[in-house]
This record gives sequence, structure tokens and C-alpha cells, in this order.
Amino acid sequence: MAGQGLERREVLRVMALAAAASQFPGFSRWTFACDHIGAQSTEGAPAKPAAYLPQFFTPEEYATVERLSELIIPSEGSAGAREAGVSEFVDFMVFSDPGVQYRFRYGLTWLDAHAQQLYGETFRALTPDRQTEILQHLAYKDRYREGEDEGREFFKLVREYVVMGFYTSRVGLEELDYPGLKFYSESPGCPHGDDPEHLHLPKVVKD
Amino acid sequence: MKNLMPDQTYDVIVIGTGAGGGMAIKTLCEAGLKVCALNSGRRLDPAKDFRNHKQSYDMKYRGFGDPRKRDQYYHIENEYTAGLWEHGIAYTTAPGTEWEWPRCAAVGGKTNFWGRSAARMGDIDFKAGSRDGSDVDWPVSYEEIAPYYSRAERMIGVASTVQNRPSNPDGEYLPPMNLRCLDFILQKGCEKLGVPYLPDRLAQLTVAHEGHPPCHYCGNCTEGCDTGSFFSTPWFFLPLAEKTGNLELRTNAVVKNVLVDENGRAKGAAYIDRDRKQEMEVYAKAVVVAASCVESARILLNSKSSRFPTGLANSSGQLGHNLCDHLYGTTSYGYLPQLLGQGSFPDNVSNSQVVWMPRWQNLNNPHEEKFVRGYSIYPTGGCDEFPWYQDQIEGFGSEFKRNIKRYYPTPVSFYCQIPSLPSPTNYVDIDPEVRDIYGIPAVRVHFQWGPNELLMWEHAKEVCRDVIKASEGEVWGVGEKPNTPGYSLHETGTCRMGNDPKRFVTNRFGQAHDVPNLYVCDASVLLSCSDKTTTLSVLAFSLRTSEYLIENLRRGNPSS
Repeated sequence: MAGQGLERREVLRVMALAAAASQFPGFSRWTFACDHIGAQSTEGAPAKPAAYLPQFFTPEEYATVERLSELIIPSEGSAGAREAGVSEFVDFMVFSDPGVQYRFRYGLTWLDAHAQQLYGETFRALTPDRQTEILQHLAYKDRYREGEDEGREFFKLVREYVVMGFYTSRVGLEELDYPGLKFYSESPGCPHGDDPEHLHLPKVVKD
Repeated sequence: MKNLMPDQTYDVIVIGTGAGGGMAIKTLCEAGLKVCALNSGRRLDPAKDFRNHKQSYDMKYRGFGDPRKRDQYYHIENEYTAGLWEHGIAYTTAPGTEWEWPRCAAVGGKTNFWGRSAARMGDIDFKAGSRDGSDVDWPVSYEEIAPYYSRAERMIGVASTVQNRPSNPDGEYLPPMNLRCLDFILQKGCEKLGVPYLPDRLAQLTVAHEGHPPCHYCGNCTEGCDTGSFFSTPWFFLPLAEKTGNLELRTNAVVKNVLVDENGRAKGAAYIDRDRKQEMEVYAKAVVVAASCVESARILLNSKSSRFPTGLANSSGQLGHNLCDHLYGTTSYGYLPQLLGQGSFPDNVSNSQVVWMPRWQNLNNPHEEKFVRGYSIYPTGGCDEFPWYQDQIEGFGSEFKRNIKRYYPTPVSFYCQIPSLPSPTNYVDIDPEVRDIYGIPAVRVHFQWGPNELLMWEHAKEVCRDVIKASEGEVWGVGEKPNTPGYSLHETGTCRMGNDPKRFVTNRFGQAHDVPNLYVCDASVLLSCSDKTTTLSVLAFSLRTSEYLIENLRRGNPSS
């Protein structure tokens, strides 16, 4: 059955190989591209950002993180994780937090081993449908499967980082239409004087 | 090395520049007295130090802070306010005590970032001791302190409404904040349960006041206000004091102890100049201690001499005792389905500090409930800077993204303000083993929540859950445990005021019973913290004490 028989020992072995192959540069060389998409440069036109070089993840791991972030907050209908540069944020935060690095590395390794076991390929090499299928079993209670606890734990972790990265970015705050940090001439009050119980409001965002 | 160069003698030394010290400094300077103010930290530059108009994406770690340093942050501290809270000076806790104690050493202290709730206490608080038999009464009646509350309110500007409630006397108010959608819904729910839901007493300028611009409702108040549209001493009081030419403000001056002359009178203060790493002394005719509740106790306990072997003004043995604090915590949280799918609305205009549910328990009969006294609740919610409710929503993909947006205006949560009762086991003393980086013996805190406050916590959780339900909302959860003691920053006690010198550190005017030219002007003189915040009471009592001090100096008879 799916997920069963994926030994922790095996995941750790693969993970050790990944870590050895990692380009992890140590803590002295990092620079985080704060001027990600949408941010304004103070001096003339911003230079075209070069391809992001991950600070913590290996190129393969980073590609998976990028894919995961796009699956979690897609660009359908409005800007998503891709436009917000979320995978860069995740890399930077994991890079900056030794306490969480092991969990990410272990989780990504688990995900690939899991994909290999199910479909014979790494997660990032799968079709979008299969990727979605794998995540659904990790994300929705009624689709949980036995033996995938570690995957569920990892999905929760990576979703938390993607949500953090997206909704603190300029495009994420625009997506929510964040109303704070603005200047109002008087304290904004409820505009529904005729319906104080708010039982008959027309929906702005559809269900 | 001690600097023993003779210094100018001032009329008054004021230790601390927060609400109590700031009020004393302003009042004394305006009366023509020469004041030397000592402050343990630096002076802030609002334009540089207050990052309240920074978007999360302007911050290196998006406002979450450097993960490697996160364990060192106090709960109130974040990437926006990092560097503004004291970490250098140690305090210790007794075994069994958890005490998280953020101190803002910067000029203005906690007024830079306070929650701005500014309700008056009343006789229900001042006479609580005899009313429920759990303590003594305050030596001051509401009638006596009311004019000082009015004057303090006029100085700082408080927005609210007249509410005619027995637990919280009305004051002189600026127009209130407008109620938001979620307030109307929750108010209806509260109505069904007989719980009050009213505009808070909010020291935030809804109109221009005393030369200060009105609030612009950006919502990041607790990062510090760079327009000075809510009361803090650096924006409101210190400029007035400086205008008189009577103030000398010494920053980065950590007071070690109060100096005493051969007659047992205060003659000055010894402090460490943090810049020069040198011990200094300064002299005056009178000393005002206003370093905040626990720090003031630390200074006086460390002011030992052969005449005062257990610390200055401690013949009662009560110095450092009767430490109280507000039990804080999220009592329950959930969402209002009525607002699902609504567009965003500026709910977070004042860090959500718009309304409160002022004490409604034990009003007619002090023993109506299983606990004595009472508590207040601060509801909060709506469109916040970050969708914290994300962990309540399952899944991923387009549906997840749409749900985050649908729920954006709906979350609500409730925060309790529960007073602890004075207890003989809650106090501060000096740690015999530990000294801080300047060699000053560290203060040690002994504190645990008592049964009365924990009964209130259980009560509050139940009521707030019921309010969500009565408002047709859905409950996501109830609080598991209260916040760590110290969290609220509302410590009271340690130098309580009372008429009997054998039982109280200070008299009814905040003057030390043992040392006539020593005065205390902070929350340490308050007998308990009640269900209200402490700042407005600190201001009112400090104003009264300062004027009493002025009168004594004028008469040349400080012991009158």
C-alpha cells in the first residue's frame, strides 16, 4: 500500500547523500534578494534580477520547493507564490534557521522517496496531476493514508512557510487587499447601518 | 571607579521617564523646580526607531524576525521593535516562578508602545478590600483622585463614551472610535448574554489634541507612533518639561541605589553611566523613584545602609511585597460566518484596540461568583496584517487561496485582563547570588497565579465562547493556558500606599513613611491592578504626588 514500507532509515541514507552534494555555502556568504519582484529600487530602473541562487537548498531541492509553493498558492485567477518569489523566501528563512533545516531536508527527501516508490520518479519529475494527487493525501483529513505521517508533517511545515512568504509579500497583501498601514482621515466604521446584524450582505468573494 | 566630583545640586532627581516619571518631570519643571531625570536607556528617534509604517516586505525577515534570535525576543518584541527592549540587565526568578518581563529602557519606557487602554479605577476598586474581605482598602477615595484623573485625561486625550457603569467611572473624553462590522455583530451577541460591549477608554487621538495631530489609523501603534498621535512621554510631556529650561535628562544612566545622608534623608542617586561604564552620583533635595514597579523595588532594596539594613523605606518589611499582575491570555477564538466572502475592511485601525467588555461580574454582590472582584475582556478581530487563521483552513491550491480570502474579515478573538490578588508568596527581593553586567545585585521575582485569578480565567473562557456562539459565530478554540506572568506589563504593588507605617511603604501621597524626601511615582504604590490598565492611574497618582512634593519643598518642610 502507498507509503507503507518507506523506511526512515532509507530516507536518512538518501538525505545524507543530498546534504553532501549540497551547495550550502555557510553563513558568511549569503545575500538575500530583498528587491524581489515588485519591490521598488530607489536608484533609477531596477536591474533585471539574476536567477536566484539558493542559499540552503540544493538545486534539486530548490526546484521541488518552487514546485510545492506553486501547488500550494497557484497563480490561477490572481498572482500566486511564483509572482511573489515565495520559494526564495522559504530558502532564505530555512537558511537563517538552523533549527528547521533538518526537518526540511528530511521532508524533501521523504517526498522524493515516496514519489519514487509510487511512480518510480522524483516528486518534481511527476506530472502536475500526480503531484497534486500525492499532496491531497497529505493535506486533506478524509484522504489521509496510513504510513504517511512524516509526509503530512512535512506538508504542514512547508505550507506554513509558503503561506508566511506569500501573505507578507507585496502581491500577497494585494491579494488580501490588506487595508492597514494606510492613512484614514477618520476611524473607519461599519458601512452597513441598515443591516447591523450583517445577515443580508452580498458576497464579494464567491464561495 | 567612582566619580566623586561635586556635582550641581538639583531640586529633585526623578528616576525613570515612563508614565509616572514623565508626569513628575513635567509637573516639577513647570513649577520651576530644577530636575535631573535619570533614564536607564537611550533616547529614541521616532523617525528612525519607529518602523510602524514599514510593510512586512520591507523587513528583512518579513516582520518575523531573525529565526536565530527569536528565542531571545520578548513576546512584545519583534523585528519592528528589535533593539528597543532591555536585554543587557539581568533579573532572576525563584524556583517555580515563570516571569517573562520585557523592559523598555528607552526614554519614555513602556509608554512608547503601550496598549493605550486608559480607564479610571473607581471606589469598587479602592474599597475592594473591605467589600470582599480579601485585602485592605486604598487610603484614597475616588472622590479625592477624580480631579487628577480629569486633568490626566485632558493632558493625554482619551477617546471613549459616557457609559454609566458601576465598575468604571466615566471621564472626559474625545469622540470614540467608530464601531466596525464585527463589533455590531458581537455587540448583539453580548446583549443576549447581558455582557457589556462598549468603546474602550482609548488614549488615542480621534481629533487633534493639545498640539498633537489626530491618529491616521494605520494600525501599527505598538510598533511606536511616529506622528505622536497617542500619549507617550517623549511626545507629550518631555518637550513641555524641556521648554521650561529646568530639565536635565541623563540617558543611559542605570540607577544603582538612592543615596542617604547622616540624618536618614535621601540626598541623591548613584548610577552607572552605560556609555562611560563609570559610576556617577547626583544630588538633590528630594528624590522621586519612578523606575516601574519592580525596578523601583530593586533600587530601594539595593539602597542599604547601617540605618536602613533591609533597604530604604522598608521598616514595614513590605518593600517588594504584594506584587500583582494581570493574567493575560486568549480566552477563545473563532469566526463570524456573516462576514464570509466580504471585501477587506480596515478593522485593525488601532491594533484592534477599539472596544472592551468592562467588568460585569460581582457588581451588586461581591460574592456573586466563585471568585472575588472581576475582570475585563478586550475583543479583537477582522482583517489583520497576516491571516493567522490559515491553520484552521485545510488543503492547498486555488480553493485554499480563495478560502483564505473568504475568511479574511471573519476571525475574532478575546483577550482577558484578570487581576491577581495580593499574596504573601508573590514578591520581589534581591538575588544573593546574581549581579548584573554592571555589578548591581539583580532583582529576583517570586510569582505564581493564585486560585482566584485562575477561577476567573475559566469563567472568562466560558463566557467568551458563549459570546461567539450567541453572535451566530463558530468557535475555533478556547485558550489552553494563560500567558506567563509578567506578560501584561501591568505589575503593581511593591511600594504600596497606606496610612499605617508598619504595614505600608508609602503614605497616601506616595511619600515614603521612613524617608520624608523620598517619593514613589509609579504603579508600585497601587494596592492592586484591578480589571483596568494601570497607566491612567499611574498618571493621576503621580500628578497628585508631584504636587504634594512641590508644596512640601515650598514650605521648606518635606516631612509635613
